[in-house]
Amino acid sequence: VTTVDAVARRPAEVGWVVVLGQELRDLWWTGRALLFLLPFSVLLSVIAYLTATNQALNYLEQRETVNLTLQVAVGVGALLTLVAAADAVSGERERGTLEGLLLTPVSRTEIVVGKLLGSLSLWLASFAITIPYVWFLGRGIGITGDAITTGLVVGTCLALFLAPLGILVSTFAHSNRVSLSVSLLALLAVFAPTQLPASALKGGASDLLLRINPITAGLHYVGTIVVDGHAWTDDLSWLVAPVLAAVLFVVVAILGGRHLRLGEAPG
Amino acid sequence: MRSRGTAAAAAVAAFAALLVCASAAAARPASVLSVSVDPARVATTLGRTSTVRSTITNHGAATTEGLIAHLNVLGYDSGVYVDPEDWSSHRTRYLGPIPPGGSTTVIWRIEAVNAGRFAVYVAVLPRRPAAGAPTTGPAVELSVAKRTTIDSAGILPLALGIPALLGVLLLGLRLHRGR
Repeated sequence: VTTVDAVARRPAEVGWVVVLGQELRDLWWTGRALLFLLPFSVLLSVIAYLTATNQALNYLEQRETVNLTLQVAVGVGALLTLVAAADAVSGERERGTLEGLLLTPVSRTEIVVGKLLGSLSLWLASFAITIPYVWFLGRGIGITGDAITTGLVVGTCLALFLAPLGILVSTFAHSNRVSLSVSLLALLAVFAPTQLPASALKGGASDLLLRINPITAGLHYVGTIVVDGHAWTDDLSWLVAPVLAAVLFVVVAILGGRHLRLGEAPG
Repeated sequence: MRSRGTAAAAAVAAFAALLVCASAAAARPASVLSVSVDPARVATTLGRTSTVRSTITNHGAATTEGLIAHLNVLGYDSGVYVDPEDWSSHRTRYLGPIPPGGSTTVIWRIEAVNAGRFAVYVAVLPRRPAAGAPTTGPAVELSVAKRTTIDSAGILPLALGIPALLGVLLLGLRLHRGR
């Protein structure tokens, strides 16, 4: 909840910085972020434990496990970011605090930017939690550095794609329920192709679908480096969709934020 | 009379045997190809990539066309599962024409994904199924030394520690805010 006092009492500061500070306090000081991150760390622990104690894994399967850990981190981290972003505006509207926020001397663009960066903090925290697991699983096979760097680059692009999507939906949704439902449905839609069998993903049309979907393209790029051992520059074309989606959705969310209205909170 | 008949029968049998051998040789002619590999032995460590060069030579009088070289990997120890796809992602190569007396070299990159003793060999066969049997080169003996890649004993502090740390942080925050 970005309170009116927090924003109105600091006229000398840049508006989005004040909104960001308040968002971070709301997310972290209340323990909401830790509630998200605790099950996330349990999930990574289970994967790491099963891998480390499985003596039957060969060298290549260990690389695949590092890749799986990264994909889970990127996928769940992006989900947490989206959930936080989907609550950003519609949550304020539902709790009746949006009116006060709109009355403060902060532009709507600054409100959206502050909330966007606040929700991205969840992605950065979830990735920080992932680093020890990737280090543990990847150190023996010499891919820790590449895996962490690739995961950070791709995951940040995907978080920058999904957080604005959540903010955008939240801006126009009249209730949190609608905002969360639509955002999760959109996330499910872009993640669905990652679960298709390999036999269904052969051919030109499938290749195009994988390349234009930021999630599948980003995760594929991670796999080419972590599992296949390709150089960073070998498959850069797979990064085009995640980067473009990040830029496009940030711009659209900021432009959409200009149309931020009080709306009506559901009765 | 009897001994002469026996000798004649033996001669006929010997001639028939010669004919059979000759026809068998005509049906399966000696291969005009040979496959050599270098090196003959490779000692490496788990996770390392090795390179094996195979040279396919045409000893015949005509140019060979439409040949396929294929790399195979097998384990000498029955308890070790080997999936050749894991060891080399490009195991099939389509060769260009090889002139009489000429040769072509194919380089294979092999990643050691299991520890143990393995054989790597190259087979060359024509694209037309009826054109003859594959020609196989000598096996490269591959010894892969084990290397500890995951310390299974060290996972417990990490797997329990991080969730515990987050849980303590959450609990502390709740208690602090509850005051």
